[in-house]
Order: sequence, then C-alpha cells, then structure tokens
Amino acid sequence: MEITLKFYRFSPGNGSKGDFQEYPVEIDESATVLDALMQVKEDQDSTIAFRGSCRTGFCGDCTMRISRRNRMACSTTVGAAQNEGTITVEPVRLITTTKDMMYDLDTWVYDKYKAVEPWIETDQKSPDKEHVVSNKVVQDLRKVMSCTMCWLCDEGCSTMVVDRKFVGPLALTKAYRSVFDPRDNRTEARLKNLSEKNGMWDCCHCYEASEHCPKGIDPTERIFALRNKAIKANAGIPTVRNHYRSFAKSVKSHGWLDEARLAIETEGLTNIKGQLKQVPLAIKAFRKGKRPLPYFLHEKREGRDRIKRIFEKWEENE
Amino acid sequence: MPYHDVIVIGGGLAGMRAAIAAKAAGVDVGLVSKIHPLRSQSSGSHSGINAAIKSDDSWQSHAEDTIKAGAYLADQDVVEAMCQDALRDVVLLEHMGVPFSRDGDGLIDVMPFGGSSQPRTCYVGDSAGHIVLQVLYENIVRMGIATYDEWTATSLMIADGACCGVTAYDLASGKLEALSARSTVLATGGIGRLFATSTSALFATADGVGMAYRAGVPLMDMEMVQFHPTTLKGKGLVVSEAARGEGAYLVNAAGDRFMSNYSTDGDRAPELEARELCTQAIDTEIQEGRGDDGCVFLDFRHLDNDRIDDRLPETRFLVKTYLGLDITKDLVPVQPAAHRPVGGIQVDAQGATGVAGLYAAGEAACSGAHGAGRLAGNSMLDSIVFGRRAGEAAASNSRAAGKTEAPANLLAEQVEQAQGLSTRDGSSDSIGSLRRQLNQTLQSSMGVRRDGASLEQAVSAIQDLKERYQHIAVPTIGGPYNPSLPAYLELGNMLDAAHIMLTCAAARQESRGAHQRGDKPDRDDADWLQHTVAVSIPEGPQVSTKPVTITQWQPS
Repeated sequence: MEITLKFYRFSPGNGSKGDFQEYPVEIDESATVLDALMQVKEDQDSTIAFRGSCRTGFCGDCTMRISRRNRMACSTTVGAAQNEGTITVEPVRLITTTKDMMYDLDTWVYDKYKAVEPWIETDQKSPDKEHVVSNKVVQDLRKVMSCTMCWLCDEGCSTMVVDRKFVGPLALTKAYRSVFDPRDNRTEARLKNLSEKNGMWDCCHCYEASEHCPKGIDPTERIFALRNKAIKANAGIPTVRNHYRSFAKSVKSHGWLDEARLAIETEGLTNIKGQLKQVPLAIKAFRKGKRPLPYFLHEKREGRDRIKRIFEKWEENE
Repeated sequence: MPYHDVIVIGGGLAGMRAAIAAKAAGVDVGLVSKIHPLRSQSSGSHSGINAAIKSDDSWQSHAEDTIKAGAYLADQDVVEAMCQDALRDVVLLEHMGVPFSRDGDGLIDVMPFGGSSQPRTCYVGDSAGHIVLQVLYENIVRMGIATYDEWTATSLMIADGACCGVTAYDLASGKLEALSARSTVLATGGIGRLFATSTSALFATADGVGMAYRAGVPLMDMEMVQFHPTTLKGKGLVVSEAARGEGAYLVNAAGDRFMSNYSTDGDRAPELEARELCTQAIDTEIQEGRGDDGCVFLDFRHLDNDRIDDRLPETRFLVKTYLGLDITKDLVPVQPAAHRPVGGIQVDAQGATGVAGLYAAGEAACSGAHGAGRLAGNSMLDSIVFGRRAGEAAASNSRAAGKTEAPANLLAEQVEQAQGLSTRDGSSDSIGSLRRQLNQTLQSSMGVRRDGASLEQAVSAIQDLKERYQHIAVPTIGGPYNPSLPAYLELGNMLDAAHIMLTCAAARQESRGAHQRGDKPDRDDADWLQHTVAVSIPEGPQVSTKPVTITQWQPS
C-alpha cells in the first residue's frame, strides 16, 4: 500500500526543536514499521537515524512513538500503524534524543542498569559442576531475564517524569534477578545499595511499568518483592522499615491507618532528634484541622477482624 | 590513537565470550560493536547449547552426530576439541549466571534436538540466545572491559604481514578512527542480509568476511549456507528447533506427517532429523505441490498448554505477534529461510587465521567444526567454545609480542576513500536497489537447491552489481549520527561475500549437506572430500581445495 511516513527529524546544535519530514513509501501492509524505515533509509535518505536490529521483538532496540503510541517498530505492522495512509514516527516523550530517533540511552538506560550491578557473584571460583537449583526458581529468573530493555516501562514511569535520577523500573527488574538468584552471594549488600537515594523506595507504585511492559514481566511487582525482601532482611534505611511495619501494624490491628502513630514510629520512639524534626509538621497539620487522636485513642474500624484475617492468611503463606 | 592488547570486533555471543576470556587472561581488551552488544543478533536464538553433560552420554557420541550432520566434511580433530570443551564451557556459563532449565534433581536439563542421537541440548526455556547474551554482557560490565558501542569496523589494518588493529567509524561523532591492537578478533556474525528472506537481524551483513577478504585472508567452505527448516511464512523469523523437540509435528497441506517418508532413523520422531534433511524434505513437499502457498505447517495442537507456556513461551509470542495465530489452536505456516553461514574466515582450532595477530570466531569464522551442515544446538556452542579459545589465543599472542602501533597512513587512506564517495557523480542506483538485486540473485541461485548454470549466471550478475556499486554517490559523509557511510560499506561487504559464496558453490561439483546441486546430485567422496578455500586475487575470488581431517569416523 501507499503510505506517507512522517518521520521526526532533529539535529542537536542547530537551535531548532526539529520537525516532521514526509517520505512516501510503497510497502505491503503486513510489513513492519521497521521495514518501512529501512526502505526509506536505503532508497531515499541515508541520513535518517534510528535504531533497530533483530526484527522480532527480542532485542528491544527500536522503541518509538508510532502514530501516537509508544511501541517497538519491529512488532508493529504498517497496516496496524497507519491512519488514513499516514504513519507518524517520533521519539517517545520522556527519554531524550541526540539526533532523530537516537535516544541518549547511556544516561537514561545503560548507566542506571550498570548502577544496580546486574550480574551475580558466586562462591565457587573454579567451577566443575553446575549449581543445584530448582526449575521453579530458574523459571522465575528466566521470566525477568526475558526483559529486552526496550525501556517502555521507564518511559511510562510516573516517578521518572518528575525525577530523572530515579533508577527506574527497568534497572530494578534487573536488580530483582540478581537479588533473587540463589547463586548470588551479595544479597545484603545489594539490598542496601537499592535502598540508597534514587533507589527502589522512590517507586510510587502507580503500576504504569507493568502496564507498559510488552513482555508481561510485571516490573512493579518485582519492585515490591525487592522491598519486601529488604524489610525482612532488615536491610536499608531504618526509617523506611519502621514506616512500612508501622503502616501494616496499624491497619492490621485497627482496620485503618493510624497517622499519628505512623509518624512517631517511623522516626523511632527513642529517636529524640527525629521526633523533634516532626514538630513543625505536626503544628502545621494541626492548624489545617488535621488532628489525629493519640494512638491509644485511635478508633477501631468496623470489619477490622476480617482485615486482620487477610493479614494472617498472608503471613501464613509467606 | 587508542590501543588495546586485544580488540574484539562484534558484541554477540562469540565476541563477548572472546573479550571475557582475553580479559580473564590478564590483558587489556576493547570490544567494538556496530550496535550495542545487548541488541545483537544472538538475542534472537531460541535454541540451546549441545553438551554431553549427562552420565549416559559421551562427547564421542556428540562428535559423531556432528560429523554426520556435516556430511563428513568436518575436520574431526576440531570437532573433538569442540565436543570435549562443551562440558566445561556450559558449566562455566552457568557460573557466569545463565539460568539453564533444570531437571527434577535441580541439574541442567537436556532436550532432544534434530540430528542428535539422544537428548543433549542444554536450554534456557526457549530464549537461550537472549539470556546468554544478557549474561555475557553483565560480565563485560562487571570486568570493566572497554566498549566502543556503535562503532563500525571498516577495514583491517595490516602492516608487515601482521594485523595491527582496525579502522572504525564512530556513529556518534561521525568520524573514522584507528584502533590499534596487537591482536584482533573478528566476531562480526553472519550473512543473512544477503538473502531476500533470512532469519537474520538487520546488521548481519558479512562485515568480517568482507574485511578479511579484502585483506587477503583465506575463507573456507563459503558455499555452505544453512537454511533453517521452519521460519514464519514470508517473515524469515525462526520457529525454534525446540518446537519439534517438544513434539510439534510437521504436516503438509493434506495434513500428513510427511517427515516419516524422508526419515532415516526409526528411533526418534521423524521431525527430529538433522536440519539439512528437514529443510530438503520441506522444500520437496513444496516443490511437488503438497505445500500451501509455499509453506508447510507446524502443528502444536496436541501438546499440553501448560507445557507450551513453560517450554515455548517465546515461540507462542512470536507466532501471535507476526501472524496473529495461537499455536495452541492454529496450524502455523512455515518455510525454510537462509539461517547461518557454515563457512567463513578460515581459522584453526584456536581461532587463528593465516595472518599474524588476526583471529576469528562465531558465525564469521570457519574452523571446520561443522563441515557441510550444522547440527541444531551446535551454533551457540561454536560461539562459546571458539569465542573463548580465540580470546585466549589472542591474549597470549599479545602478551608474547608486546605493544604495537598501526602506521598512520592506514587511517588516512580510509578517510580519503570515504571522502571520495561524496564527490561521485552518482547513478540511478541506490543502496536499496542494489541490495534488492543482490537478494534476488542469491535467493534464486544459492537456495536450498542449486545448479551450475544458474550459479555461473549469478556470478556475472554479482560482478555487474559490484561495478555499479562503485558509482553510487553518498552525498553526506560524517557528522553526528549519520549512518550513511556504514550503510554503504555494508553493501560492499555483502557483495564481496556473495561473490565468494557463488564462486565456491560453482566450484563444488557435487551435492553434500547444505550444498545440493540438481546437476550434480550425488556426493563425491573421491574428489570432493575437500574444503573449498577462497582468496582474493585481482580477478575476484580464487578457489582451491584443502583435504578434510579424519580421525576415527570414516565417511559412509
């Protein structure tokens, strides 16, 4: 079919924000958008820059915004992408480019990936036998390792929108593999590292990462699993652990959140400096009419027994 | 000028394995790749790695299967080395982090693959390539190996008969640079883009073969190209051998499991014959009118759904994405497509070429381990074993010979040539139009079945394309992220590789393994138990022969 490919051109340093350039392409509708781009590059304009490699959705290199949806060019057919004979190809919104469709992946993806030390370290130095591991465990590792690093999760991440330093769901999914690989011997150090600034505790659990993952890896749940592991292992920032536990404790016992208790227990009862730090906030909240009762007076909600049973059931399964 | 003791060209499995081995041997390593290593073609391999790790198996049995699949054209000393090393190399990979699928005892499990006399393929679900690639890259990062991502090697620098590095085009800066090295390893991958339909990634453009050929390095068995029997209709995307390993049937348009008419081994499922036989059987069904629109079908419908989700999730995803079919309910139309070169840059069992300081591994190389056809599951093994061996050999060469610096004029020549491209008058040809003609030429002459006359015809067609290639103008060279120069040079590499392949195919006057000629239908051990070896002379590739090494398995 005859289509018009509107491809976003951008060059750094010439002061312009860039603009669409139109290329007429004659191509079968079952061909992919990546095929169409290759055709333009070979026949019309050898200077257009984009990435793409495997053609099969496994290398994750050709993520673009195609007809106003973020997706991989190799996994999108011309027929599905065209709208009245036009296909627009432009960069995704968040991750910045260095030219046309060439993203600054070092800054946005690879450096973050490297920051979580995404390998494993084992005890045996000169191995002559494989590790004994159950198939169920390796199956789970395989699932996370099927990540193609297409960074659609990072692109969808709500935290990343306001803080590009956040390590992000892609890198945390990689971290999950290292932490949950039973062959690795650095679990504790890893959890500590992930609890640092810009780490896993900056995830705002909006589930956008899981929504965007084309492989169904569910990055958001992987981040939760890492956090749970850190809490259980007593790793990472103490106040975060306190906050987490206090939250669960008050919901379990009273059926709803006890905010006053949460504030106090997060800093730790014996932490005078921490408690004093909260005084201005408490005064401000009080003035605005937010006056939680001291926790011994915190009302127990109706139905809390059922909530408690959910907790107990969960704890049993853990 | 940047210098490394060892420079590896190519960031796929063989290249990264070589870089890791060289670094582990204590030398300084640079890894040069025209795409980011994590995006390499190896990622698309769904199969697995053969190794006789089970107690009822032996490396000798593995070697015998390999030699038979290669129609006795394999050098048996090299096969023995590969099959023996397989056991240790697989365990090493496991320790680097590969989560191999496990058996009931928690040990590495093996799967039956085509052409193997027993289950021997270690697998990682059905994404072995993708996951092994991830793990190797993790180790590249962990070891602090210097990487040159999106640098395209453009020529080998040869001085005083020795290779002293490469010139390369840095995409980000748009500049040609010289990278000096005492030892250089070519692991540039395959040749798939030469064919109209192939299983390859966009960048499998025979770069290593082209560069080596122009530098006078001999190439071996270039006529041998393996066709994968089962690729998705019209797409060239591989449906893994694992599908048949798990029990999927091959059926023709009438619904018959036709492989039983071709099978020679009553002990295993007929679908699990070696690649070459499966490909030729499917081709025969289609040629004789029992196919459906150029295809036969894979039938998964009798397999258990849970098992499919555990063992073949990527296959299910692939078929769904590209054909919109569900393998648990629909027949999947498949056809053979060009898959992997079996020939390549001639190397010994250590990966050394005839040129001092130059090594090669993986799909770019030909050590003689596969002969005239390749056993499923031996390709990744080849990359891992010979990648490691080449890395080790390159490292010890660098240690023995010390630092070197390439003469500056070698880069200057390249820069001058590149600039010349932009001042050409141009012609009506484009990179795309020439590539498509090249694709059609090879598709019709170098397919599953060949014959002498059409091969000769194709050779002259390629010569014509090579001539026209010299007139294509490339208006803008250089500048940040300008991919023009690499795109032009890739076409040149493909044309050179095609020229060599066709010449070798025309020279081999017999049918053997992946090389089937209608005009020479029989295997001819008396005259052709020989490798073809091609080198560049001014008139084009010159072909000679080299005897095959036989140790204990006599041709039958």
